[in-house]
Amino acid sequence: MEQFSSSNENSMPQKPIIEFRGVSKTYQTGTHALEDVNISIAKGEFVFVVGSSGAGKSTFMKLIMREEKANTGKIIVNGFNLTGMKRKQVPMLRRTMGIVFQDFRLIPTMNVYQNVAFAMHVVGAAGKDVRREVTKALAKVGLGHKARSMPSQLSGGEQQRVGLARALVNNPDIIIADEPTGNVDPNMSYEIVTMLTEINRQGTTILMVTHDHNLVRDFQHRVIMLDRGKIVADNAGGTL
Amino acid sequence: MKLGSIKYLAGEGVKNTWSNRLMTIASVGVLVACMVIIGLAVLISENVSKAIGNLEQQNVVMAYMKDYSWALYDNDTDDTSSETTEAESTEEADKNGIKASDYVIHNEEEAKALCDEIAKLPNVAEVIFVSSEEGLNSVKESMLEGQEEYFTFLDDEYGNPISCAAKIKMKDMALFGQTVEKIREMDAISAIQSYDDLAEKINSIKTGLGVAGVWIIAILVLISLVIVSNTIRVTMYTRKLEISIMKAVGATDAFVRIPFVVEGMLIGLISALIAEGILYFCYRVSTETIISTLGTNDIVKYGDMAWILLALFMAIGVLAGIIGSVIMISKYLKKEGSEFAAI
Repeated sequence: MEQFSSSNENSMPQKPIIEFRGVSKTYQTGTHALEDVNISIAKGEFVFVVGSSGAGKSTFMKLIMREEKANTGKIIVNGFNLTGMKRKQVPMLRRTMGIVFQDFRLIPTMNVYQNVAFAMHVVGAAGKDVRREVTKALAKVGLGHKARSMPSQLSGGEQQRVGLARALVNNPDIIIADEPTGNVDPNMSYEIVTMLTEINRQGTTILMVTHDHNLVRDFQHRVIMLDRGKIVADNAGGTL
Repeated sequence: MKLGSIKYLAGEGVKNTWSNRLMTIASVGVLVACMVIIGLAVLISENVSKAIGNLEQQNVVMAYMKDYSWALYDNDTDDTSSETTEAESTEEADKNGIKASDYVIHNEEEAKALCDEIAKLPNVAEVIFVSSEEGLNSVKESMLEGQEEYFTFLDDEYGNPISCAAKIKMKDMALFGQTVEKIREMDAISAIQSYDDLAEKINSIKTGLGVAGVWIIAILVLISLVIVSNTIRVTMYTRKLEISIMKAVGATDAFVRIPFVVEGMLIGLISALIAEGILYFCYRVSTETIISTLGTNDIVKYGDMAWILLALFMAIGVLAGIIGSVIMISKYLKKEGSEFAAI
């Protein structure tokens, strides 16, 4: 199997874009999702987050997106201190991120172009910027010719590429991909991670949750492994 | 927020209203019904107020004065009284045995001066002087044909038995009793003829109408609010995927909320216009029937109320739309993307 690597990782480590210091999260049900997590992800890194179900991967991602609040510890994402962050500041944090969902989450009543443009309208972009950036994002994921297609007319892989274009269109600093290859065939999985690697080469930090060991093995990026709420392995600067 | 965003969001609100049209039609239907009932309540109340106003105009008080006729017929002046003053004792009595000191109002000037005094009382709207002759004529006119002759002997033999009077109209019927008491206390007034019962009834009808109107409007506004909230909730469920994505890509609460508020306002405005049209048609048909059947023209014209009703409907519609959507969406805005998608 061919091995892929991101050129950005080989460069000098940059200052952290995501930092967890002694972070714990316990849900009201009493479930300890994360326990004393300390981690630092540099700007421009590509990180796979792996672990079995219930390991705390989703909570880890939700804490970064500020969908959940930590019980203890400090989280800093892209210069935002998430500890005690006010609700009205959350949209500003999220505008620095692009999110790719496992189930694509495309709006079925909108065509490909409108689905991508939607993310720009939300942040109040001007009409001409929307047209330019959406066209660019669709070209980047190879779907420029399908701009007028409806999501139902696309394959799973194509739908996920639309999701990727939507995450990219606002030029985010970080892309958070929650099992983006979970609902697509193996060939398309490689294609999507290749695209993410390409985006990462241009300086965007990528955090990708996956269960696919082949992808982790073939794309040689940093891997953080979670188990029962704790980081049990992290190959930062070396092999796992 | 930028102008472009506002235009985009307003367009989204209009689009939502259309794509959710079945629910929109149902909401508009209920809102129109509420507004028509509110409009009818207002129109009925206006008409009753007008009718009561006419009744009030007719509810006059007659204050009879202590004049010669009073001294002759009503006053139980005891000629045997020992406490007569020297002036009185020297005073000459006329053929009927009445002295000038036996009564207070001696001529028309004094009577009119008393009317002016009554007119100065705070709740008095109008005072008309009614002379003895006018009083007697009015009594004769109220008799059946031929019966008026029974009174002619009074004129010929004993003079006019009707005292001159002040015909008084009140401003506020709520102060009716109080004002009557003040008039009664005046020295030159011998008797008062009034319809206290009618005044009380008019008062209670007015109060009752006011209270009922407020309750009807309050209840129907509440119903309107619930209806709009419910429609917005349905729209929200159909758009939960969009909202979860909006939140994930950094939409502010206002951005998420505005299309719903626009939708609520639009439902309110459409309902207001339809309600105005229906009410105009119904009122015109019913008033035309009333006018032709009863031959009265004393009915509030729709044109006089049209703008007030339209403003009222629009206010109810727009407020119900805004408040209903804000209440409904605020409840869900606190939920996060994945929680929202899982609703």
